[in-house]
Amino acid sequence: MSVDAIAAIGAIQEPSLAPASGIAGLAGTPQAGAFANLVTDGIGQVNDQLMTSQVQLQQLAAGAPVNLHQVMIGLEVSRMSFQLLMQVRNRLLEGYQEVMRMQV
Amino acid sequence: MDYSQTFAISAAGMNVERLRVDVSALNLANANAALTAGGVNYQPLRVVTTASHVESFNSLVGGGLAGPQALVEPGTQPARQVLEPGNPAADAQGFVRYPGVDTTVEMMTLMSATRAYEANVAALNAARSMATKALEIGGGK
Repeated sequence: MSVDAIAAIGAIQEPSLAPASGIAGLAGTPQAGAFANLVTDGIGQVNDQLMTSQVQLQQLAAGAPVNLHQVMIGLEVSRMSFQLLMQVRNRLLEGYQEVMRMQV
Repeated sequence: MDYSQTFAISAAGMNVERLRVDVSALNLANANAALTAGGVNYQPLRVVTTASHVESFNSLVGGGLAGPQALVEPGTQPARQVLEPGNPAADAQGFVRYPGVDTTVEMMTLMSATRAYEANVAALNAARSMATKALEIGGGK
């Protein structure tokens, strides 16, 4: 492998330190139900990925010419997105319990 | 999570190594099939990989084109001649021609393809453990 092969890495953009435009957008009034939509969409995506890996597993078990590593990668991706979902749920629950423990 | 790009790159590498193993296995399987004048003659194959179109690393990763491109080409090895006078495929001097498959080279290809496949799996596992570590942020309390 020649050194020229990694020369393309030099073309990576350096991260800019300017604030992201998305944060500025958060300053406005939040839309009603926007967060609930976000959570619902996230759960839907995780479900889709789980279903996709399940279909791939079924194809593999049925003897279809599926690449084994593709199936395993699909399983890993769906596992990671499920773990992300669980972490989001844990944070939400912690916040809720924190509010419920508040003295009035 | 944008780890799917990393996974796609590793998967492309694994695909190429699988192809290498398949072609080597085919060469080995046909190594001892005699070449006949009128029949089906096996031509040894080899895999030639080239990098895909390189513009910049970013566009390469973003476009999902990062994997190497593999081509299966017929090899140029001359046929192997073995003295087997009793063989029906033998010529007037008693020589039988076999495909020019070098078993040593094929074994080397198999070994290096296995190792390269393992390297791709290692890269994928590294990306996965980074993602799993990222999910632990703030979980320690």
